[in-house]
Amino acid sequence: MAGKSIVVTSGKGGVGKTTTVANIGTALAKKGFRVVLVDADIGLRNLDVVMGVENRIVYNVVDIIEGNCRMEQAMIRDRKLTNLYLIPAAQTREKDAVNPEQMKDLCAQLLESFDYVIMDCPAGIERGFKNAIAGADTAIVVTTPEVSAIRDADRVIGLLESNLLTNIHLIVNRMNYRMLRKGDQMSTEDIVGLLSVPLLGVVPESEEVLVSTNRGVPLVHNRGSHAGTAFQNIAARLDGENIPIESDNHAGLMGKIKRFIWS
Amino acid sequence: MFRAIQRFFRERNSGKVAHQRMQVVLMHDRLDITPDVMEALKNDILGVLSRYMDIDQESMSVDLEQGKDYTALISNVHIKRVYRRPMTANP
Ligand SMILES: Nc1ncnc2c1ncn2[C@@H]1O[C@H](COP(=O)(O)OP(=O)(O)O)[C@@H](O)[C@H]1O
Ligand SMILES: [Mg+2]
Repeated sequence: MAGKSIVVTSGKGGVGKTTTVANIGTALAKKGFRVVLVDADIGLRNLDVVMGVENRIVYNVVDIIEGNCRMEQAMIRDRKLTNLYLIPAAQTREKDAVNPEQMKDLCAQLLESFDYVIMDCPAGIERGFKNAIAGADTAIVVTTPEVSAIRDADRVIGLLESNLLTNIHLIVNRMNYRMLRKGDQMSTEDIVGLLSVPLLGVVPESEEVLVSTNRGVPLVHNRGSHAGTAFQNIAARLDGENIPIESDNHAGLMGKIKRFIWS
Repeated sequence: MFRAIQRFFRERNSGKVAHQRMQVVLMHDRLDITPDVMEALKNDILGVLSRYMDIDQESMSVDLEQGKDYTALISNVHIKRVYRRPMTANP
């Protein structure tokens, strides 16, 4: 099987790109795939702390590109999974330390030995974005059910398409089912209708996410976590499994029963 | 039940409002019509119309309207009088 290179992007910052990369990368590795995560957010390194490997960094992605080290030297192996690696971003460099052509080469090289190369894209639509999407054959656009995030997602989808990256999937993150029931939030159907790209999954708003980043252990390690289940489903769908979107709302059935009793 | 009544009397749900606003915003974004371009378009339409009729320039409006599966350009203009013969283009 030829590997897949996936960029996780959004336009707007803080919508859950890094969280998504960490969780679907870990979930795919748990399924046995060889996975490498690339932090393409140069200057604002983050993925390492979310993955809990921040104190093992020696080299970074810019070092590979500039030839200061061999590729393997900059790859940090995950604490739990031996088939999961991270290439950290450079913290003290600018985004123009790399160019799209170099990122493309790096991706191609990584695809020789990995099943999945997953890039964590910076916010914005400038140089950092162009670098992050250059080597990708698939894009995952993350949005939240909020007007500003959706508008930026739409803009990014347009830019991806004009860069001929047309294999695009959507993740709706931070879905608040309580607000949705009150009618005070756009529904997943509304959002998919607006953006008209296929839906890969819906991740609920959950305090577990913060707890997991505090610990530096991705949620998908945590059985019974609602958001973790959603990320696991997303990873399975990427792998071609056919899992209904409704099962992303892990609390759905229990919630219905509770509401029935209390109404 | 009480909730349902409460909801009925409340303002329109903000989720619906957001959805409708986004339909309009995204359509404008995608067509990439900036206010400047819109103004230029309006002036050009005005120019063409004025060759055929005497119109109230102040009354003119040009808007894009989003239907379920179409986008329409809707223009409203008050006509004072239609000329018997069109005026020449660039006098
Ligand atoms: N489903 C979620 N529920 C609650 N908090 C979330 C969720 N997803 C992300 N967050 C929080 O939102 C913040 C931004 O997430 P992050 O993944 O860093 O976004 P980005 O990489 O797009 O800037 C973090 O504090 C993270 O813990
Ligand atoms: Mg990030």
